[in-house]
Amino acid sequence: MTLQMLKFGNILNSRPAGREAVLRAKQIMNGSTDPDIILDFSGVEVLTPSFADEFTKGLKDIYKNKTIKFQGFEKNNVISDTLTALHLL
Amino acid sequence: MLRYLLKMNLDLNNFYKHSTKIIKGSIIDLSDIEFIHPWSIVMICLLLIERSAMSDKKLILPTKQETKSYLKRMHFEKILNELEYTEETKTLNAIGITTHLNLNVQEITHCLYRDEFNARLGHFLSMFTNFGLNEDDAHRATALVGELGNNVFDHNLGNWPTNVVGCIIAAQHYPRLRKIEISVGDPGVGFYRSLKVAFPKIQNDLEAIKLGLAGNTGRIGEVRGNGLKLIQQWTIQNFCGEVMIHSGEGLVIVAKEGMKEYTVNKILGTLAQFVINYN
Repeated sequence: MTLQMLKFGNILNSRPAGREAVLRAKQIMNGSTDPDIILDFSGVEVLTPSFADEFTKGLKDIYKNKTIKFQGFEKNNVISDTLTALHLL
Repeated sequence: MLRYLLKMNLDLNNFYKHSTKIIKGSIIDLSDIEFIHPWSIVMICLLLIERSAMSDKKLILPTKQETKSYLKRMHFEKILNELEYTEETKTLNAIGITTHLNLNVQEITHCLYRDEFNARLGHFLSMFTNFGLNEDDAHRATALVGELGNNVFDHNLGNWPTNVVGCIIAAQHYPRLRKIEISVGDPGVGFYRSLKVAFPKIQNDLEAIKLGLAGNTGRIGEVRGNGLKLIQQWTIQNFCGEVMIHSGEGLVIVAKEGMKEYTVNKILGTLAQFVINYN
């Protein structure tokens, strides 16, 4: 299942926003049996560590058996650096 | 002669060097100031907030007309009005300026709530681009502002010491130096009170700031604290810059060369700044 992160905003910031996004993601993925959750950052301009940490931890808590993968960030060094700093890549 | 010598460019170093001439109890005296950097502007905002409930509060505005015009350009009168510095507000309101006079400033922005701060991040992204940063650097600088603002609201929500809440942001671009200064201040609990609950052995503001910079959080039972570490890392590695944090009476400056710490005038809350040097 692929989540288009741009639909959560082009600037993804703050832990409360990350928590809210997890709740929305849960509704969007309702019933998905796909073993992977792909976070597609195409079009996102800014991803802060706070949002990224809260969002990915929240997903992992709910979907312990799924693998979270990342795509669409290749042209954005800041998103790449954020994910790297959080040991997500 | 003495008065001539006091005419000053109020950057970080000069602020602390001359703080006793500027801070006089309930009076903040800017009469000898010729230029004010974002760090000092936000510092003065915090000092004014701390004194806003005092009956004899007073701000002496700069005598130099150009400096007053600069403060007007920074929308300083808006925060003076919020804090009920009535006469001082009138003085600045009487100054007529064209907003486009100086495109290299980010006027003082007071975000009372987190949602307001988040909503303004898009504006800061445009600001960095307008200052001349490339897309990558503008994204990174916006993320840094985002993290500084997040810290303000994460650690003060429900716990603000006064009735004045939120974060105050100001920035200045120095095109000839290819340098940008961005300051974020808050009249909140500060590092010491924020971290003391989780780390009861800390003794003072300096210890608390250094603990925070090392990636520790005062929020018990939560795994977090990446923000300040990344702010330092990205500012130094990607921008060849510096990070300054003043909280309580502690001031810590982190740069490529290492960390410097000072005991300075006590403030309510925290003032943080990062400096970007770009090519």
